[in-house]
Amino acid sequence: MYNYVEDGDSKTTAYVEKDQDKYQQFMARIEAGEKIEADDWMPEEYRQALIKLISMHGISEIMGALPEKEWTPKAPTLRRKLGIMAKVQDEMGHGQLLLRVAEDLMKPYGKTREDLIEDLLSGDLKFHNVFHMPTKTWADAGMVGWLVDGAAIMSQTNMLDASYGPYQRALQRICQEEVFHAQHGEAIIMALAEGTEYQRDILQESLNRWWPALLMFFGPSTAATTGSSKQDIMIKYRVRKSTNEELRQAFLDKYLPRVFSLGLTVPDETVHYDKEKQQWIYEQPNWDEFKQIIRNKGPKSKERLRLREIAYENNRWVRQALVPKTVES
Amino acid sequence: MKLVETAEQAKQDPSYLKAVTELIYQLADDDFIISFRGSEWLGLAPHIEEDVAYSSITQNTMGHAVMFYELLEQLGEGKADVLAHERQPKDRKNGCYLEKRNGEGAYHGEPYFDWALAVVRNYFYETFKQIKLEAISDGSYKPLANVAKKALMEQTYHLAHWKMWMKQLQKSTDEAQERMELRIVEAWDEFGDVLELGDCAEDMQRHAIITSSEELKGKWLQEVTNTITNVPNKPLKQIYGNGRNGEHTVDLEQALETFAEVYNSDKTAIW
Amino acid sequence: MTKEADFYQVYEVFSRRGKKAGMQHQFSLLAPNEEMALLMAQENFMRREEVLDVWVVKQTDIRKMTSEERQQWTKRIDNKDYRTTKGYGYLRKKWKEKEQGMLDEKEILSWKEVGEK
Repeated sequence: MYNYVEDGDSKTTAYVEKDQDKYQQFMARIEAGEKIEADDWMPEEYRQALIKLISMHGISEIMGALPEKEWTPKAPTLRRKLGIMAKVQDEMGHGQLLLRVAEDLMKPYGKTREDLIEDLLSGDLKFHNVFHMPTKTWADAGMVGWLVDGAAIMSQTNMLDASYGPYQRALQRICQEEVFHAQHGEAIIMALAEGTEYQRDILQESLNRWWPALLMFFGPSTAATTGSSKQDIMIKYRVRKSTNEELRQAFLDKYLPRVFSLGLTVPDETVHYDKEKQQWIYEQPNWDEFKQIIRNKGPKSKERLRLREIAYENNRWVRQALVPKTVES
Repeated sequence: MKLVETAEQAKQDPSYLKAVTELIYQLADDDFIISFRGSEWLGLAPHIEEDVAYSSITQNTMGHAVMFYELLEQLGEGKADVLAHERQPKDRKNGCYLEKRNGEGAYHGEPYFDWALAVVRNYFYETFKQIKLEAISDGSYKPLANVAKKALMEQTYHLAHWKMWMKQLQKSTDEAQERMELRIVEAWDEFGDVLELGDCAEDMQRHAIITSSEELKGKWLQEVTNTITNVPNKPLKQIYGNGRNGEHTVDLEQALETFAEVYNSDKTAIW
Repeated sequence: MTKEADFYQVYEVFSRRGKKAGMQHQFSLLAPNEEMALLMAQENFMRREEVLDVWVVKQTDIRKMTSEERQQWTKRIDNKDYRTTKGYGYLRKKWKEKEQGMLDEKEILSWKEVGEK
């Protein structure tokens, strides 16, 4: 699950590559559809943007396991218990793939996975806004699987042709598994939508709560909203194809008709499709709140980070014990 | 040995039916509760790669529990989901050590889980499960023997995984050795009832559904003493009582409250 | 305290899916030793597919092409038709004139069935 999280902290100074020959060669390569590998020359701006993007993406997968994890042991049937375990396991697995990609990019700076985890805990490395939100009922487990994952699939498939080879290959694997995730989410939602009054109630209540977070998922449409935007850089370097707003519109296109077909509503009376403009009209979410959330001031930010910290600190002795020198296998 | 091919055939002989039902409850409940504890580890393992690998084992094990519950369903005990979610602690047959919390703290609060406990518990359990399944796969109840053979296909990986952790951590730093030893000594006092077959043990053996618990226990002891660096110099005990007779700890109540929370929130619902 | 960076060794993972398939690179993972790397590999990358064999290799033990080598050694002039069937495609028409089929890849590989009939 991913989207680029921007908090308006980062400065947007114009980047000038020193080695113009290499830069032109590089741009020619990616424009010809070639893939860049970890040890190829790349502009510093490209490397740094990728590290930021992919480490955020990877750590969001790891943090993304936590809200659903709360419901894993509680899943209501044996089959649902198995399904959600497999799904959360995949999220961890996606985190693994992505962090490996980020780690290889960070090699020139001598940074490792340990540094990434520590950056996360110190607040330097942000994770996605949706994973700062609480999961209050089983319907939330379904909502995360259906709409949050749906939004994630939308933004990830948009990068399936990314110019950076290792990332593109990781995304291939991830998107294949996302097909299962989409159906896992739909299955939970479908059972609730066709279920008892109580089930329908928790479903609608869950959608109402998640709606603003879902709109925020793709990030602000322009830099004007939050003060900075990296989307142009990612498009310039052929990492992604579409803008935040294009992705949000595509998401609404795919999912809103499905939402309505289940008899659900969204908590925004202005929502409608404008045929002339050929786009969905919706009320903007509160972008100031968005900024607060991704600065780890969301409703569950502290708890989720604390959980990750406990897991990390609590197992330190295991990792220490298995440093290659000390183990004779 | 007279083979019993179907559930219908098993139902013809009340003493056979009782023995085989009892054994399957033990198998199902053991797998279910240990995989429940495993599911709580998801996202919290020592490193990400292990998290993914351990979760596969947990899923496999819960998958085995489902197969066992389905055998009970065929024997007329009720639906698998009902058996897993609705039975009270006194009706549950899992060994007490398997229901033990993963460590200090709470799952939905601050879980200070102990990897040494996870390794020792899973290694002890998977070793015994392997031996038990092998004995059952030669047993007289065909539907159970078939499920045992299926489960054994995945068992080798489970065992190799936990044995590797046992070996590596026991040979490592002083701290790791100490933590492992502490959990091994503790398990020696608590693991006893997992090795038992309960009140119907004699009938199970008489009907050739499984071999004697003494034989199983002997094999288990031989295997684990080969892997443990310092074997505790004391007899195996079951200080929390005998789970095979429905004796359990508060940890099982906590588990039940958690895993049946949503299930209980609307019993008329289809989830 | 030892820096945990030492704990994280990079292993490249390869697997074979079918009896006739070659070893295929899957991805890489971090593990403190090869025993653990091997036991992690299958469930990390192949948990949904059949797999017949798995290899793990420490990344530092692999001599890979460097970036320059990849770009320089893998380039060939596009004049090697004579080496491939592409250069002999005109035969199809010739044989057709003589009312014969072309011995193409499909035809030749189908010969493994002879004798079984």
